[in-house]
Amino acid sequence: MANLRGREGDQELRIDGNSNIDNLADDKSKLNFDTGRDRGSTVLDKEEQLGDKDMAPMAGSSIHRTLSRPQLDLSGAAIQGNFEEKDPTILLPNQSDDISHLALDIGGSLIKLVYFSRHENQPVNDRRRKIIKARLGITNFNRRSFPILGGRLHFVKFETAKINECLDFIYSKQLHRGGMDSRSWQTEGPNTENTVIKATGGGAYKFADLFKDKLGISIEKEDEMNCLVSGANYLLKAIRHEAFTHMEGRKEFVQLDSNDLYPYLLVNIGSGVSIIKVDGEGVFERVSGTNVGGGTYWGLGKLLTKCKRLSSGGCFDELLELSQRGDNRTIDMLVGDIYGGMDYSKIGLSASTIASSFGKAISENKEIDDYRPEDISLSLLRMISYNIGQASMVAKLIDIVISYLNALRFGLKLFEASVVLPIFRSKGQAEAMFLRHEGFLGALGAFLSYEKHGLDDLLVHQFVERFPMGAPYIGGNVHGPPLGDLNEKISWMEKFVLKGTEITAPVPMLSPGTTGLGGFEVPSSRGDSLRPDASKLNVGVLHLIPSLEVFPLLADPKTYEPNTIDLSDHGELEYWFKVLSEHMPDLVDKAVASEGGTDDAKRRGDAFARAFSAHLARLMEEPAAYGKLGLANLLELREECLREFHFHDAYRSIKQRENEASLAVLQDLLMELDSMNEESRLLTLIEGVLAANIFDWGSRACVDLYHKGTIIEIYRMSRDKMQRPWRVDDFDIFKERMFGSAEKKPHKYKRALLFVDNSGADIVLGMLPLARELLRRGTEVVLVGNSLPALNDVTAMELPEIIAEAAKHCDILRAAAEAGGLLVDVMINVQEGPRESSLSVPLMVVENGCGSPCIDLRQVSSELAAAAKDADLVVLEGMGRALHTNFNAKFKCDALKVAMVKNQRLAAKLINGNIYDSVCRFEAATSPSFS
Amino acid sequence: METVGTHVANSGDTELKSSDRDHVSHLSLDIGGSLIKMVYFSSGSSSSSEDDDDDDDDEKHNYLKDGINTSNHDGSRGKLHFLKFETSKISECINFISSKHLQHYGDQDDKDLASDENIVKATGGGAFKFADLFKEKLGIVLDKVDEMSCLVAGANFLLKAVNHEAFTYTDGQKDYVKINHKDLYPYLLVNVGSGVSMIKVDGDNDYERVSGTSVGGGTFWGLGRLLTKCQSFDELLELSRQGNNRVIDMLVGDIYGGMDYSKIGLTSTAIASSFGKAISEKKELDDYRPEDVARSLLRMISNNIGQIAYLNALRFGLKRIFFGGFFIRGHAYTMDTISVAVNFWSKGEAKALFLRHEGFLGALGAFMNYEKNGFTDITHQFMEQSCEKSNLTP
Repeated sequence: MANLRGREGDQELRIDGNSNIDNLADDKSKLNFDTGRDRGSTVLDKEEQLGDKDMAPMAGSSIHRTLSRPQLDLSGAAIQGNFEEKDPTILLPNQSDDISHLALDIGGSLIKLVYFSRHENQPVNDRRRKIIKARLGITNFNRRSFPILGGRLHFVKFETAKINECLDFIYSKQLHRGGMDSRSWQTEGPNTENTVIKATGGGAYKFADLFKDKLGISIEKEDEMNCLVSGANYLLKAIRHEAFTHMEGRKEFVQLDSNDLYPYLLVNIGSGVSIIKVDGEGVFERVSGTNVGGGTYWGLGKLLTKCKRLSSGGCFDELLELSQRGDNRTIDMLVGDIYGGMDYSKIGLSASTIASSFGKAISENKEIDDYRPEDISLSLLRMISYNIGQASMVAKLIDIVISYLNALRFGLKLFEASVVLPIFRSKGQAEAMFLRHEGFLGALGAFLSYEKHGLDDLLVHQFVERFPMGAPYIGGNVHGPPLGDLNEKISWMEKFVLKGTEITAPVPMLSPGTTGLGGFEVPSSRGDSLRPDASKLNVGVLHLIPSLEVFPLLADPKTYEPNTIDLSDHGELEYWFKVLSEHMPDLVDKAVASEGGTDDAKRRGDAFARAFSAHLARLMEEPAAYGKLGLANLLELREECLREFHFHDAYRSIKQRENEASLAVLQDLLMELDSMNEESRLLTLIEGVLAANIFDWGSRACVDLYHKGTIIEIYRMSRDKMQRPWRVDDFDIFKERMFGSAEKKPHKYKRALLFVDNSGADIVLGMLPLARELLRRGTEVVLVGNSLPALNDVTAMELPEIIAEAAKHCDILRAAAEAGGLLVDVMINVQEGPRESSLSVPLMVVENGCGSPCIDLRQVSSELAAAAKDADLVVLEGMGRALHTNFNAKFKCDALKVAMVKNQRLAAKLINGNIYDSVCRFEAATSPSFS
Repeated sequence: METVGTHVANSGDTELKSSDRDHVSHLSLDIGGSLIKMVYFSSGSSSSSEDDDDDDDDEKHNYLKDGINTSNHDGSRGKLHFLKFETSKISECINFISSKHLQHYGDQDDKDLASDENIVKATGGGAFKFADLFKEKLGIVLDKVDEMSCLVAGANFLLKAVNHEAFTYTDGQKDYVKINHKDLYPYLLVNVGSGVSMIKVDGDNDYERVSGTSVGGGTFWGLGRLLTKCQSFDELLELSRQGNNRVIDMLVGDIYGGMDYSKIGLTSTAIASSFGKAISEKKELDDYRPEDVARSLLRMISNNIGQIAYLNALRFGLKRIFFGGFFIRGHAYTMDTISVAVNFWSKGEAKALFLRHEGFLGALGAFMNYEKNGFTDITHQFMEQSCEKSNLTP
């Protein structure tokens, strides 16, 4: 699970290898493909050097696969096969392996490529993980028997005209080697002679020979409609927030219930348009279609505007660009033109409704050259868009067209668009929905047509979507050849900074009008909102992590929304962008320092700052660019961005320093606590959690505070200032629950899950004492830490060491940690003494499955899910996990949310309070809803 | 420039019996975005001489006319005249009215109005737009009648009162369809003017505009002018007759290497993408024959209208689709394409029906709107008459 998000930044659609072998492959990939034959033989040579594949297919393949891997894991190396052999094959069983599978959709204008790179889980060497597995009775993280253990689903586009780039890409990634027929899937043999790749689209016929020639792969043709439908079904079921509606210029992401998906209409807009009614898996009918589609726009547009660009894709883009600046009123005949500026309100047509596309070209004595190409392009775009809306209308479909048209009015990308129209969803309106992976339905469908791909029954929570560094720049654009290593990426980054500032500069969005029945109102006289690159949504790499689960204690996972703050409110978005931007220089300093402040680190730090700024700018312009945007996503994006530039733990040294400082004063604190009676101790403990929570490098306000005193000074001062009642103060309810009252009996919790926040005082002086108190009362305690570092948050990896150190000062902690198996490694440091471990309830540590300061409880690690099964108390601590996310989350068990609000705006918004206000929210178990 | 002959030849020369020979002259207008359609009624006594005049006018003024003759019980004849002008040349229309003194044949019976004010029924957007112009030039007050209700009234009248008004068009074969008056409703009326309106008609004055599209006659003409430099609609139609759409359209076979995509019922000659071939070839506009461009354009628009019309008919469970409006013009390829589209999408279950007086539904409807014009009676009488004369052939 350490490679949960991958240590190598293979989130890019590029090669990121570092090894020599890899660079060799890269260099080769840059060769012109005219020499493809030669290269084929080179590869063969390499195989011969490395091992005889007939003798040992396993090893042959695993070494071969290292061509596209950054590093070899040499642990567990062993000779395989016959020891007497001259060059025996060496088996390297511990590759965090990358096996790829590939499918193509080769259309008339674009090639869409979907490939899966497989990452097997790392060998479990982590002792903590082993112990927790044993304790929680998790027998196998990969509970599935099918081959896919985890990996990434990549989506790449190429222009069909530049098919060589595509071949290059496949070769450099060695995708054709892993291409699966069912046999190679099983044996993982290199199997180059008979590799079969699934492909759909007309090009699957047209280019079959080329693929055979250049890459030696056979293309197996899949039916186009079939692929479209299975691709759409899969996306709608397996990808969170795949579908969105587009109303009034704003995107609303929709999660469809996969049990209530059918029937729906799939409108696929390519050169022509197909309209397919989908009734289930593999059950569909092409009910309609129109020959007036993207090809018509392009073809007619080319004839009418004399678009000069030679590249075919360039011309299409140029047309779209032209349309942005167009005013279709110069050519279209509007209702107002006929009615002398008046509406035809009786039938709901306003004066600005287009009555007749190109109708004005009739009566005027103008020639084609007298019209601006911009106006022509916009007029054409409108005509075709509206018409597709009309042609989508099928029997028994009422009113859908209207919402569909509304959606089309904004930034329709005519090519490769796919629209889903639910049929009779609820009684009311059924809105047209767009798909983020719109261009990839066919390719994905072809991919799914492989047998035994194992993706069939994957669920939404098992995919995590990541947007690599280049996302803000390349967006949904057609992709060029792959980049090499990190250095190459950084240079690329620098090169694109200039271009990027242009691209990511904010674009004014215009507010739309309304449309009446059958009327096509012009959304605005100008086409600005049709800016194509602004309307394009990014498609990230889908990280498949089969071990992710939905947190079992969520009261209602279907309605659960992690984010408390809705960033679709633009003011809110602006504010958080400002906060993150301001915090950036400090973060970059820390990050560079954490890597020794070398020149290389500085360069990476610089690149990180640029990449993250670009992401922010892109999101500022189009908040929905990466799907549904919440604060949690934004904060996680930052962490991912750091990791991408190989900053794995920017706060490492700070965390260590603060842990040490806090551990030094822990003993005093525990003595102070032990001198109190139970009830006042509980209050002091909660106060302590709140006070310690002030130490937070994620909060600007707190960073400023640090300059004013030492940790323990601030902690004490802060705790003493805790004046009850707090802004949200359910302490008395919690206390009553713990100790009982006249009416109620005290409740002894069986197991508590403590979601911890920061390192240093927060964990050591805040949460550990609370955990100790629970342990003392006979409650098992599971500390839930991050899987990957995020800011100064304490990770699950770091917790055992902190606990071991704390255990030196405290028998309760020691006994519990021993019982939880946490002290095995560090036992030598602990004084020998009488053991009562068998008597103590255990203290355990699990990882939460994420690397963000927030937590989305729909996607947690399997060990957390397992630990949750017997838990009856959840404690969420800190802003990220208790306020930014999960503040409104309801649980099946009791929940305590404790945090100090270190942000004025959040305080005002959430609790109508001020900065440094405290929140102690207690909610008794919610009985599961049966809605 | 002018294809008067073609159209007139398609028109009926239907006799009506007028019950009121004293109020024979009425004028009504349908002023659309591209064309002004005019209907007026003249008394029988002058009919023959007027015919001659009209022919001269056709040459001079570039308008179309058409007529339905009426006759009353005692045999004297009246005649309904159908004319059209381009909206951009509205002065021609005004001159024509003025020269014929038609402005005096508005609603003369309305005694409540000042005698020097002539009220003329008019529909279409131009009834609003050009109201002042008519007032100024001719002293006419346009009484605006709702466009949709006119279309419906006109269509209902034609379908009930004129024998052999509706016909199907398949493979160049025109087959008149006998409409049972009692089984007329509901039907879908598709009026293809500059834009397209689709109206579900459930009875006399009982209708709803259910859909429409901006891709209509105006689009054909406008785009066609830009692409071919044609000077008139009819010239463009004529060009399309000689064209071959395969030069520019991307066919299914072009994508599938000459094969059918039979699984979804598309033959290799089906159009996958109109104008789709213009993408990939390095040709400029001038490298294409105007005939082929016109053909592709006509086919794109006709096919589209046919398809959307069928989908609407399906949506409301309507068996009959009548196509009217000036776009159609009795043009063979247009009707053929629409028929094929309806046939394809309905899998042969529905048929497109065309109207001989296709262009004048609105104007006729406005005409019907005159109260006390006795026309309702005319209709009834004619209906009776047509039942008696059921052997009548065109």
